[in-house]
Parts: sequence; structure tokens; C-alpha cells
Amino acid sequence: MIRFWDILERAEKGKIVPVKEWDRGIGKAAAQVVSDYDLKYEPSDPVPADDALADRMFEAGVELFEKTGIYCMDTGKVLEFTKDEIMEALDAAPDRVIYGSGNDIVETPHREVEDPRDPIVNFSAVGTPVTEELFVPICQSYAQEPMADTFSGPLITTYRGMAVASGSPVELEAGIWNVIKLREAARWAGRPKIPIHNFMSIAERTDATIAAARPELGVLPGDGLFVAAVAELKVDYERLKKVAFLIHSPYVIGGLYGPLMGGYGGGPAATAALLVAHHILGILAFRAPRHNAFPVHIHHVCNTSRDMLWLVSLAGQALARNTHLVTFANAFIAAGPCTETAIWELAAHSVTSTVSGWHLNPCAVARNRQPLHCSGMEPRIHAEVGHVTARKGITRKEAGKIVKALLDRYEKQIPNAPIGKSFNECYDPVSVRPKDEYIRLWEDCKETLRELGLDFGLIA
Amino acid sequence: MSDIIENLGDEVQRGEIEKVKELVKTAVDQGLAPMEILENGLRPAMEEIGRKFGSLEIFLPEMMNAADAMSAGVEILKPYLASEKSEAQKGLIILGTVQGDVHDIGKNIVGVMLGSLGYKIVDLGYDVPVLTFVDRVIELEPDIVGMSALMTSTMVHMPRVINALKERDLRKKVKVIVGGAPVLPEWALEIEADGYGENAAEAINVVKELLQ
Repeated sequence: MIRFWDILERAEKGKIVPVKEWDRGIGKAAAQVVSDYDLKYEPSDPVPADDALADRMFEAGVELFEKTGIYCMDTGKVLEFTKDEIMEALDAAPDRVIYGSGNDIVETPHREVEDPRDPIVNFSAVGTPVTEELFVPICQSYAQEPMADTFSGPLITTYRGMAVASGSPVELEAGIWNVIKLREAARWAGRPKIPIHNFMSIAERTDATIAAARPELGVLPGDGLFVAAVAELKVDYERLKKVAFLIHSPYVIGGLYGPLMGGYGGGPAATAALLVAHHILGILAFRAPRHNAFPVHIHHVCNTSRDMLWLVSLAGQALARNTHLVTFANAFIAAGPCTETAIWELAAHSVTSTVSGWHLNPCAVARNRQPLHCSGMEPRIHAEVGHVTARKGITRKEAGKIVKALLDRYEKQIPNAPIGKSFNECYDPVSVRPKDEYIRLWEDCKETLRELGLDFGLIA
Repeated sequence: MSDIIENLGDEVQRGEIEKVKELVKTAVDQGLAPMEILENGLRPAMEEIGRKFGSLEIFLPEMMNAADAMSAGVEILKPYLASEKSEAQKGLIILGTVQGDVHDIGKNIVGVMLGSLGYKIVDLGYDVPVLTFVDRVIELEPDIVGMSALMTSTMVHMPRVINALKERDLRKKVKVIVGGAPVLPEWALEIEADGYGENAAEAINVVKELLQ
């Protein structure tokens, strides 16, 4: 069984490979498994219902990881693993993860394809930049949502008038402020001990994370932290230091993987195999009991285009059918809050993910970069659609029809998707309630979704 | 256009290094002007590759293979081009992912595309400290400095580089372009960058405009 110490040792003693050679090798290895396992993206079938294809995708992902291993950017060395080591790690990985404590426990089991159980939903503002003044109301808008099993926050770019620069002392101060304010938002939401699945969104560096990870500041046992791999299949010492700290802490480690479709791996099939491979990286190098997938389109910076939904669906099915991992799909949408386009994107991603075996982690909005363009409504929409999809027992074939109908409504708009409204424009920042315009828009869109087969009466 | 020039373009697009080398040698032997081989055979092929990558008809591996094939062809032409327009004359660009950020795919794509179009590229890599950008500007006197960031928490180093260039009285001597997932055009204006590219294709156009 591979231990964390083996990872550290292999990062020091592995074969030296120049980083450019590594990057180029990923595409060659991915192309090989795509060919060997006959994996072909089919645009007319965004939610494939082919078990054999899903199983081949899993085998391809495992073989890809076996061929490549992991690249350590600090040492320039490759951590290699045998097939036996990979399979043993998959077998030994947890089949459930528990967030929170006391009465606020959130037990998250492995999900199956077409699983009728509600997906667990992590309400996440991901990486949207916001102001200090609106940080707490925005976080509250997430934490107060009834379907939010856990929540996490956006980020600020300035703190007390100074830039929150990575590696600076300001970053460390801002990181401490971050966790205090997250727990404050939970209190204002009336859920003081709701689990925070990623307690640090403002600071990148490990020192800031360690400085902030204290119960007296609001980070409670059973909260969690994400550790992100670098595309593709790379880690560095900064990330491994986080893992070293987290292993000795009461916090849940989340592996975070965002392979770029169109990037070093290649197209949708190659990137799906890479996403499967990243989950193995997460088990071995990050010791992660839960996994968070945000593959994104290299040009559109979203995962709601047709090819991305196919990728999300197939990688999810591959993992759900062949492992007992706890996996979450992280929606990245092109459009912004309070737009029809965003609602169709959220619905399509949620239906696709839910039937494909993922739990849900919504969402990055407006390509994750428009300041203040996020709110609790977007994950609410994603969560409601996910719950309905599961409770109704929607199959992959039925999901495919729904998703195709939704794609007809938005896919041409993706390159120039509307950025929508800012938090202040679609929420009352004092009461922290969505404005009527947004509620009405969602209710109107629900009518269309009902006609497509989503029975919202199931969650009334 | 001669058959050989057309074939050359096809082989560049296929990333066939050996065939490109062979065709370039043949073209030179047949008396075609080296600049014509470059401008009519190799570069249009790379521009087409850039277009195909922009619409994801092809993916990054194919684009990099084509760039390798193009470079192999250019290497053969270099001795003949020495008396003509050199790479340095087209423009020297230094590129880097800013301090604290290890994500460099976007920057690498821009580098590959610009390099294949004849610009001289010096890639500083990722996690490049603010003062390293400044030191390299002093050392190399580039026409353009390009900075990339994937993280909101790291893009704040971009204005620090620009300010450091100002403080050393270098800002007017070099153009600065910025890009990366969290970077918005408004931000580029705010920090007084000279150019911004939403994606690699835009970055290329910005460079062309700035160096006209």
C-alpha cells in the first residue's frame, strides 16, 4: 500500500524529465489509450448510456495513469506507480466521507450511475472575486440555502486597501479574515455549524492555510480543504505541504482536478481519461477521501458545452461503475447570474452529473472571473434540478433527451454568453434575499424544465 | 502557388517533421527564394493551425506538433535568411507566468504560436518573481513583456511588475501585454498594460498591432 512517505520519496528519487517533455508526453499517452480502448466523442449523445464504453473509459484512465504517473514540479521528477499499486489504492479508498460534527454531520456516500438517492450538494462560490463589504452577505446567500449540505466562499482581491498578493503577509492576514468571515456568514444564515467544505478560498500558500486553520477562528473539525492538481497530472511541494498538514488535522481533504479539454491531453475522450487518471493522483498524492472535478473547455472556460457534458458524463460513469470513490462534479458555466442562459447551463450540467454518478458542487459563474457575479441562487437551481433528477429516477437516456433540448437553447450563446447581474443587482444585500426578478425568472424556466420531464413537485 | 509550397503547408499542418525538412531542402535546391518558402509555405500553414485550434478542430498536441515541424523547416532556412529579415527584427518577446502561479498552459500556447510566426520568444517559465521580469527586460531589451496568470490571487503581481518597470524608468521602452483566465480587459486598462488577449489568437493579434 502506497503511503504518503512513499509519495515524498518518489518525488525525490523518481526519473528526471524536463517539464516540456512531460507536457508533450501526456498528449501522446492519452491519444494511445483513446485509440486502444476505442473511445470516441459522439456529439449527438451528450449523456451516453453505454456501460461498456464507461468501463473502457475507466480502464483507459487507469492505463493512462500507469503510463504517466505524476510529475513533481519542484524536483522535475516523475512518481511512477505499478498497476497493482493503483488498484490497491482504489480498493482501499474510502467509500464515504463525513463532513461536520454533532448534529451537523453530512454523510456523503459513493454514488452510482442513475442513483435515486439525493446527491449531496456543496454550495460553492468557487473563485469569484468580491469586495470585503459583500463577502459575508454573499457567503450567507449560499449557507442559508436549504439544499446546501455544505458551503464555501468566494475570494477578495484587496484587504484593507492592499492587494492580496500570493505569498505576501497580506495574503496570510486575508486568509485568517477569510475563515472568520465564513463562519460569521454561517451564523447569519442561522446554521452556525454548517460544514465548510473548502475553508480557504482567498490564500493560495500553505502557510496562510495553516495559520487560519484554527477552531477559535471558525474552522471546525469536519470542515474541509481542497488541494488542486496542476494540469496535467502535476503536483508541487506547495500542494504536498498542504497534504502533510491536513493528514494530521481533523479536516477533510478534497482533491481538485481541472484538466483542460483541448489542452495537453487532447479532445473530449482523451480529457475524460485524464480526469479519471487525476482521481488516482488524488488518492495517492493528496490522500483525498473526496474528489472534485472541474474539467473546462480551453477556450470557453466552462463545462456546459456539448463536448464537456459528454466528458463529464462519461468520466463520472467510469468512476461510479468501477470504483467506490466519492466524487463531485463542479459546474463551470459561461453565463452570469439572473440570465436564462445560466439557468439552462446549470440544469444541463446538473442533470448530466446526477445521472452519471456524481455528487454536485455548484458552481463557477460567468466563467469564474466577473467580479461580484455570483449568488446563492445559481447553486440553488443546480441543486433543485439534481434532487428532482435523482428522485424522479431519470435514466441516462432520458437525461440525454433533456440535455439535448437544453443545449438547443444555449449552446450557440456560449462564446458570447451574457455576464448577467452582479450580487447587488439580483439580491437585496441587507435581507440577503434574491430579488423578485430572479425568482420569477427561475419559476418561468421551471415551467420549461417541467415540460422536459423534471417534476419539481418531488421537492416541494 | 507551386506544388512544393502547397505540400509543405500540408505537411506542417500534419506535424510531419522529416517530410517538412525534406520539402524545404528540395524547395531550396529548386531555387525557390527562402523568404517565399517561409512566408508562403510555412507561416500560412501555422496561421491555419492557429485558426483550427481556435475552433478546436484540432487540439494542443496537434498544434505543438505542427509548430515543431515549422521550426524544423525554419532551422534549414536560417542560413539563407541571415541576410534577409531576421527573427530579431520581427520582435523579441519575453513571456512568463507571474509569481506564485504554476499554471502555464495558456502562456505556452501563446509562445508556440508567436514563435511559429517568427517572433523570438524568451520563456521565463512559471512562478516568475516580479524582479526577474525587470532584470530580464534590462538584460534582453525586449519589444514586449507578456504576463499570464490563472489565479486571481496571483494576477495582482502584474501591476507590481508594471510599477517596477516604471520605477526603473523602463516602462516606455517596452510594451506590456497580459492575459489568463481571471484577467479582464478592464483590469488590463486599469493596470496600464498596453495590450490584452482574451485567448491566444487575440494575443497574437495584439502583438502584431503593437509591433507594427
